This record gives sequence, structure tokens and C-alpha cells, in this order.
Amino acid sequence: MKKRLGIISLFVLLFISFIVIWNYSYYQGKEEAYIPIDKNQVTPIIASELGVFERSKFAHDYVAMPNDPEHERTLKEYYGQRAFNGAPPSIPHTVENERSMGENRCLKCHGNGGYVTKFEAYAPVTPHPEMVNCRQCHVSVNTTSLFVETNFTKGTTPTTGVNSALVGGPPIIPHPLQMRENCLSCHAGPSAPREIRVSHPDRINCRQCHVPNNHRPSNTEVFNRAYAHE
Amino acid sequence: MLRLMLVCAWLVLLTSFGIDEPMGCYEDIDHANVFILWGNNMAEMHPVLFSRLLDQRLKRGVKIIDFATRTTRTRMAADKSILFLPQTDLAVANAICHEIIKNNWVHKDFVDKHCNFKKGLVDMGYGLEDKYAFKDKPEGISFDDFKLFLEDYTPEKVEKISGVSAKDIKYMAAHYGNPNTKVMSLWCMGPNQHSRGTWMNNLIYNIHLLTGKISTPGNSPFSLTGQPSACGTVREVGTLTHKLPHGVVMNKKHRETAAKIWDVPLENIDPKPTYHTVEMFRALDRGDIRFMWIQVTNPMVTMPKLKRYRDAAKKEGRFIVVSDIYPTPTTDIADVILPSAMWIEREGMYGNSERRTQYFEQMVNPPGEAMSDTWQLIEVAKRLGFEKQFYYKEETHIEEIYTEYRRHHEGKKHNMAPLQVLKENPGMQWPYVDGKPTKWRFNSKYDPACSNGEAFHFYGKPDGKAIIWQRPYEPAAEEPDSQYPYWLNTGRVIEHWHTGSMTRRISVLHKAMPHAYVELNPSDAKRLQIQTGDDVKLTTRRGSMILPASVNQRGVPAPMQVFVPFFDENMLINDLTLDSFCPISKEPDYKKCATNIEKVI
Repeated sequence: MKKRLGIISLFVLLFISFIVIWNYSYYQGKEEAYIPIDKNQVTPIIASELGVFERSKFAHDYVAMPNDPEHERTLKEYYGQRAFNGAPPSIPHTVENERSMGENRCLKCHGNGGYVTKFEAYAPVTPHPEMVNCRQCHVSVNTTSLFVETNFTKGTTPTTGVNSALVGGPPIIPHPLQMRENCLSCHAGPSAPREIRVSHPDRINCRQCHVPNNHRPSNTEVFNRAYAHE
Repeated sequence: MLRLMLVCAWLVLLTSFGIDEPMGCYEDIDHANVFILWGNNMAEMHPVLFSRLLDQRLKRGVKIIDFATRTTRTRMAADKSILFLPQTDLAVANAICHEIIKNNWVHKDFVDKHCNFKKGLVDMGYGLEDKYAFKDKPEGISFDDFKLFLEDYTPEKVEKISGVSAKDIKYMAAHYGNPNTKVMSLWCMGPNQHSRGTWMNNLIYNIHLLTGKISTPGNSPFSLTGQPSACGTVREVGTLTHKLPHGVVMNKKHRETAAKIWDVPLENIDPKPTYHTVEMFRALDRGDIRFMWIQVTNPMVTMPKLKRYRDAAKKEGRFIVVSDIYPTPTTDIADVILPSAMWIEREGMYGNSERRTQYFEQMVNPPGEAMSDTWQLIEVAKRLGFEKQFYYKEETHIEEIYTEYRRHHEGKKHNMAPLQVLKENPGMQWPYVDGKPTKWRFNSKYDPACSNGEAFHFYGKPDGKAIIWQRPYEPAAEEPDSQYPYWLNTGRVIEHWHTGSMTRRISVLHKAMPHAYVELNPSDAKRLQIQTGDDVKLTTRRGSMILPASVNQRGVPAPMQVFVPFFDENMLINDLTLDSFCPISKEPDYKKCATNIEKVI
């Protein structure tokens, strides 16, 4: 008798829990789709560091890679692809599929780079592979003619040379970092322009020593401490 | 001139909700699980916003469904592509409503409390003849009437009209019907430049209203707008013939408010609207209009059935003034050209799709005697004797006009942020109430203008209820036949903004997209032995022209359809398009007419 009671109460318990769970999920299903809204996000002033270490796993490979001067890019070629400093580079080669999206086409070569026999060059590595709608910004070149003559000239581009604060100090980063947080994609490996290839990619944490200076000179006042100890 | 672009979107918000502009905002993208793109090649036409969709997919695994007539880059990025025959989106949207009702996916509580059902006139015609007039007569119906009407739109019946399989229709309906899925519908010129554009927009809202998926984060029927001036200049500010900054000229109260702010006698505002865009150019042809001043638009590239209107403008006794920043085919027909200042050469503001008004400052001085379009208007108005009303000073006129404009929109439903707020922020959404933007309108959690004590309040209508419209499928004005067996569709490309008067002057963009072309389906191209680059002759009832072929490149139209981008002033495809328009919104249908194609040997 006791045993039977035990079995019955077990089933009753199971039944009750079934009802409770079923009810819960039923009301969950009926609940209106509503998400509490976060406060307005403020646009960050300091550049994001997302993806800074993205390519650091290849750092030692970069060190080990021999130079291939014949197929290297120069800084002039690097900026030559752009309408002006800061503009996205054009696509210098034919595009097999005009409808292609980044993940399935462009990133096959530009995700990781490598030597392309057809173009006798190394495919440049994109510093922002997470943005897959590549051709939102990058256009191809289908003609050399112009619609009308233009007197547009490119502004100046950053040049190499000593721009360190002190003799022997680390050079300052002369360009903006938005969408270019990942230093190694352009400054290391065989596709990096000759002049800006870093001698020590294995140090990884570039911005430990190199600070950005992409601000135009402005009338910044001399820094003063708000409160000084007497 | 934006009658050519977004009036459907505007009018429908008026017919369905009694008030303009979308209820949601871009933040909906961060909350929705499923995105359904209605005839919208978003990857090319709204690329920045589309990247936000793709970003959400990487982060949260959302679904993108591309419901379109043509295979584009958008399809390559979408999780599911569904192709339909031109004009049959009307039938498919009704079939989705049918499925929602049949499967009991209707949000009954929401519909009972917040919706009315109505029907309008059918068989409206297409506005092909001069002086065509149409006035809709709305009539209340019951839910059962609506249900009965939808019996004609079972997925199986619609499959035969639309070419969309019943399975795909049910698939889309299931996303809308699932109470745990947040759906965002996105559309632009597909449903807008449509001879039943107002209906098509109504139908998309119907789906969202039936399921209650509206005005909540992530549940959003969202009509996309071209950024520079479509929302801001036309819809909000009221540059259409029947519009005032707030309301319409037909409404005495609205006229009185405007007359008071403008300090003019009430009689100065004619309660009868004059010509809409297509009729305006027809009147120019007939001679009913003899003077025209064209600003910030390029109608000699964008008017449908263009030849008639170009010839009209060149007729003897017509005087045309064109303000522009560059020479265009429109300045070619001008008697007087006024050099305008470009946007970086003047201060001003613009409004975008999510009701955000943004202020921009002048960066450089305009060259020569060029001045802003606004200042041109003011100088002319002063000489017409309206010095009292156009009291603005040159240095402060933008601020003065904006401050005056704000007075038209006072109140919780449409209040604009003060100029100082616009200057300090990356734009500000209206209604701006108690120092805060309203992100989701009609939802009492977010919108302080809701006053009925319920969760939702569609305060645009007197009884606070939105309208679910009974709108049938009707064929397009000109469908393919034996003589003209192909559909002709027109549109934009990512490189060029509209007629390319600015973007074609940017070397890198011109080099990427130097001229127009005609896209063919590979099966049609094979049958006609046409390869990419071959010359193809297009012939419609309006005329013919030769274009280079593009097979399997940027876009692939469905079999027996062709697509031509309209940006190229040297290959004016609008000479061939038909000037049919939506009888309610008067917006032309650039996407559908019949054409024949042949290879040029």
C-alpha cells in the first residue's frame, strides 16, 4: 500500500510539474516582444581598440618570412589607390562576380593575404574583416576616362621619416585609427608597403609605445594641472 | 519634385495612421530577429544601413529575407531569396494576411482595441491621360468582410499570379505570425514607385497591424528614405502643392495656423491644391503653365515619358529658370540658370528616415555669385513685395526660418528640438518632448503624446485607431504582350546618387560606373545570342534606344525582364518609361512598362 502511494504521488508530482512548466512556457510565448531600451550611447572620442590583437597570432610567422622586394608594394602605390588620404582604396583588379559579398568572395584572399600568381603580387590584408559589405565603400575601376575634367587634387599623405618626440623614440602613428585598429594587417607581412613594414612584429602590443597623432595642429593650451599640491 | 519618390510612403502613413513619418527608428535593427526586404536592393541603395543589418547577423544570427523581382547583391547576402513577378506584391501581401488570419496569428486584443477596417474605391485607372482626377471614398467594413475578401488570396491562388510558391508565402507569413519573432519590414522605391503604391504600403502596414508587430523595439514596418531631402524637405516641411508645414491646405484649421505664423491674410492660402508633378509638366506642355522655377532636382533626367516633357519645356512661350550647382540636362532647357551653393557652401539641415533632423554648418564660401537656394527664394520674395514676411537677415536666416518652422509643429506629437540642441548633438529625433527624443511613436511606454491610457494610441486619427485597408491586386498600367514581351524596370546603382550630377564628377565613382547598360537574364541573352557589351535595342511605345548589354553582372533580372539604371544623361532610359502613377499619391511607376529587345547587328 505504501509503495503504491509512493508511485501515485510520484506521478501526481510529475503531473503538477508538467502543468506548471506548460503554463510557464505558454505565458512566455504570449508575452509581448519588449526589450528595455538602453540609454543613448555616446560616440567615443578615443578610437576603439577592437581587433588590435587580431593578427598577432601570425606575428612570429611575419618575423620568419623572407623579404620579397620584387613583389612588394611601395607607400606611393598604397596611397595611389585612394581618391584622397583616408578614402577607401579602389579595387585594382577585375571582379569576377559583381554581386559578391565580402564573406564569400573578397575575404577569401583579403582575409589572410598570400601570393597571387595572376597579379604577381601579394593580396593586401584588410584591417576590418568584420565589415563584410566590402563594396559599400570599395569600387572597381572600369574606365580611365572622366565624365568632365576636374581640378581636384589629392591632399598630402603621411610620409615616412623621423617624427618621434625624442631621438630614438618610437615613431608616432600619423594616420587615423578608425577601421585601422589592427596594425599588423598593413604594417607586417609581405603585402605591407615596403616603407612602413615594421621590423619587430613580434612585439604585438604596438600601441604600448606608438601613440596616435592624427589631430590637426590646433590651439591646444599648455596642459595645466587643475589642482596642484602646495 | 520628390513627388517622384516618396509620396506613397508619406500618403500611406497618412491613410493608415493619419500622421506622417515612420513610428520606429534605426534602433529597431538592433532588436529585430527577421528582416523582410520588400522590393528593396538595400545592399546598393541603403548600403550603410544594410551593413548594420549584416553586423547584427554576425553578432546575433538574424535572418534577412530578400523579396524582390531581380537578383542583386542584396540576395547574395540574404538568407533567403524569394522572387515575384512585377506588380504581384499586392497579391502576396494579401496572401500573407490570409495566412495570418487562417492560422489564428492575429493579435486579437491589439486589433480590437487599436484598429479599424476600411475599404476604398477599386479600378482607379493609372493617370495616363491629361487632367486625370481621382478621389478615394473610404468606407468602413468589418473584420468578417475583410476575412471574406481575403478568400481570393489563398497562397495557392496567389502562387498562380505571382510566381511565388505557396510554400514561400507561408514561410514569410510564419515569420510575421510567430509571436516570439520580432520582424522588421524594410522597403523603398519598390512599393513606392508603383502604380498601386499607396495600396502596397497599406498592405505592409496591414500585416504589422494584424499581428500587433508595430511601434515596439524590433517590430517595425520601416519605409526607407533617401537621405538628403526626401523626408526633410518634402514630407516634413511641406513643399508639395497640397501641403503646409503642418497639415494640408484643404483643412481650414491648418490654413489658419499657417496664415497666423506667416502673417498673411487667410485668403492667400488657396484651399485647392494645384498640379502634382506629372500633371504640372503636362500643363507646361498644354500651355496652362508657362513659367517654372526648378530647384534641387533634375527632372530632365528623372521624368517618366521624358521626351514629351522635354519638348514641352522647349516650346515657344515657356520660361524656365533652373537653380543648380552643375550643368545638367535640366539646365540645358533653362532660359535662366541661377548658380546655387552646394551643401558644404551653406548652412542648413536635413531630416532622415527615422525622424532625425541634423544641422550642418557652412564649411567653405560658394564660388562666384553662387548663393543658397533658400536665399535665392528670399531675394525673389522680397522683390515680389513680401518684405514683411521674408524679414530674414542674411547672416541668421537659417536660424530664423527654423525657429519659425518650429512654431508650426508645437505640441507633443511633432515638436522639433531647438536649434541649439541640434547643434550639440548628431541630430535629434522629433517629437522632441521634455528634452527627450521619441524613439517609438504611438507606444505609450516611449511616446508622451499617447493619452488614451492604453498601451498604444494611434493619435493621428480622431478615434485613436489605425486603419487596416482592404486593397486588392490589380495589374500594372502596361503589361508585356506579344509585341512588347519584356518587363522594363529601372533603378539606381551604388556608385551614383540619382542622376549622378554630383557623383559622376567624382573621378573614382565615374571610373567605377561610367555609363548605363541593360541587364538581361542569361536565358534570354542566350536565346537572343547577346553577350555582355553587345548593343541591344530597347523599344517601348514611347520610343527606342540602344544600350550595351550586361549579362550576369551587377544584377540578374528574372526571365523576360530587363533592368536599366537611370543615372546616365547620355542614355536617358526615361525617354522609354511610362508616366502612369498611383492615383492616390500621384507618384509615377518607374518600375513597370512593356518593352521589346533585339540585338543590334
